[in-house]
Amino acid sequence: MTAAVALSSASLDGATKLASVPQDARREEAAITLAGVGKTYAARDGAAEVSALHDIHLAVPRGRILGVIGPSGAGKSTLIRLVNGLERPTRGRIALFGRDVTALDESGWRRERRRIGMIFQHFNLLSSRTAFDNIALPLEIAGVSRGEIETRVTKLLELVGLTDKRLRYPAELSGGQKQRVGIARALATEPAILLCDEATSALDPDTTRSILQLLKRINRELGVTILLITHEIPVIKEICDEVAVIEDGRIIEAGPVFDVLTRPAHATTARFVEGVTSVELPAHLRAALRSEPFPASLAVLRIGFAGPHAATPVISRLSTTLGLDINILAGRIDAIGEQPFGSLIVAAPGDIASLGATLAALHVLGLRVEQLGFIAAPPAMPARSPCEEVSDVA
Amino acid sequence: MSPELIRIIIEATIDTLHMVLVAGGLGTLFGLPLGVFLATSKRDELFPAPALNTVLGVVVNITRSTPFIILVVAIVPFTRLIAGTSIGTAAAIVPLTVAATPFIARIVEGAIREVDQGLVEAARAMGATPLQIVRKVLVPEALPAIVLGLTLAAVSLLGFSAMVGAVGGGGLGDLGIRYGYQRFMPEVMAIVVAVLVILVQSVQTFGDALARRLNKRLRHA
Ligand SMILES: Nc1ncnc2c1ncn2[C@@H]1O[C@H](COP(=O)(O)OP(=O)(O)O)[C@@H](O)[C@H]1O
Ligand SMILES: [Mg+2]
Repeated sequence: MTAAVALSSASLDGATKLASVPQDARREEAAITLAGVGKTYAARDGAAEVSALHDIHLAVPRGRILGVIGPSGAGKSTLIRLVNGLERPTRGRIALFGRDVTALDESGWRRERRRIGMIFQHFNLLSSRTAFDNIALPLEIAGVSRGEIETRVTKLLELVGLTDKRLRYPAELSGGQKQRVGIARALATEPAILLCDEATSALDPDTTRSILQLLKRINRELGVTILLITHEIPVIKEICDEVAVIEDGRIIEAGPVFDVLTRPAHATTARFVEGVTSVELPAHLRAALRSEPFPASLAVLRIGFAGPHAATPVISRLSTTLGLDINILAGRIDAIGEQPFGSLIVAAPGDIASLGATLAALHVLGLRVEQLGFIAAPPAMPARSPCEEVSDVA
Repeated sequence: MSPELIRIIIEATIDTLHMVLVAGGLGTLFGLPLGVFLATSKRDELFPAPALNTVLGVVVNITRSTPFIILVVAIVPFTRLIAGTSIGTAAAIVPLTVAATPFIARIVEGAIREVDQGLVEAARAMGATPLQIVRKVLVPEALPAIVLGLTLAAVSLLGFSAMVGAVGGGGLGDLGIRYGYQRFMPEVMAIVVAVLVILVQSVQTFGDALARRLNKRLRHA
């Protein structure tokens, strides 16, 4: 099953280094391995059969967070449900910590599932049970004694910060609190793997962030391997170590989050990434944009930053070394993990000599540059001018 | 009103309550598991047995669509077999139970089918067995709806129990027919009706209150 695994830990080497990975962990067996997995839902009740997944190769390294992103209907839920046996593959093999589970029967899967927690978009809490009793449910199912349940649930409530909501019913909790109960419930049997099916899709951005931080803490402090699926890039950016992009039941791209997000190889990935990483020219400048240079025009360039270069004061360096006036029109600098990335749109003198020198200098720095066109220089360009649109510049 | 008549009315009320409680209890005893099974035995459900599900569904429908008075007569041999007689309060419990069981089964089935499938999914993901899912998820989550349904069943049984009076079943219906109708004592008929109204009202009020207490979905913190 080591064959053809798209996200083997080896792919972590090279340009991107994720500081938190212990060296020896790389050699260990992945927590979750899917090799050549396919899933076809049989035709029924007049509905044709559905091929939900094709030839999926995926490995989630032990102790890491892998995110699967894709549009609705891409097969994300099917994929995650294969990992705890809620669906069975029609082709391929699945292994957990090196143990092949493809052929497990239902009772074997029941035992296996006690080592795999799962949280859901709509929380799926029992309305008839308090927070405490919801978290106790998997322990009751596993036949844990009352006293032990009391101890463990109390600790879990503390872990997720809901000690004071112990006896509240789900109807009395906010969405974020419900998901915290869901997380505590999923962790009750001390699983090695946590599956998250769109766990933050029903939450507002602030709550999403706090839930993601909790998941990250659980991953770092308890060493739980997390496989999460989402259709939102920010979720991937915020907590994932690795990402796989899925479309029409196929993984079209996979790798360390920083690499995939900053250098998307596939159009679908690029579309997903666009909203969070790229930056657009303000509308009034876009309207004034021309494709050919003209006397005294300024060249408009989009510069993509990724990794260490984003930190260097590129613009000021260009200005000083080349003696050219370069103005930032729009920009955005962000970070994945500790690595900055982003893009800037700048205006540089548009005459052939200056432009050539600018492009060459940017090239030397290893930055990606895209020429958007030319605009007229503002009548009297003030020293640090049209920067109104700049957002988030670190 | 003579003390004799009051005694008779009290006795008839006790008979009616006896019939309704025993038939309701037995109906729940048989109807609850039957309803759970009907709700969980189609294809791809917890206890897949589609053929048996269909057969039981048809039996339930036949029983439910047979007018109660015809059911009483039709199952007389069965009633004799169970109760040893076909007349009196004890005998009336048999057809009442036979009518209540499918009624309650359908109510339970409906209540359980209303439970969010996501909860079943969550329980499966925890490693719960189908039986654990029924006991710890489906029934507790459906309980408020089941209690409302059982209230409805109890009210219907009060009506049916008055009907068995017409075929020698005892209780308030029997009293109303023998005294109110045959001996032409309209005041007895009026009292019988009043007692039935009070019983129905009490059952409904109690059932509603219990269901509301059990329902944790609409709490105002
Ligand atoms: N139980 C099922 N039976 C038949 N088709 C299904 C079933 N579950 C999902 N599908 C189909 O499989 C495809 C992938 O669905 P899903 O995995 O839920 O996608 P996603 O979670 O990415 O939205 C869809 O076309 C969906 O209609
Ligand atoms: Mg889904």
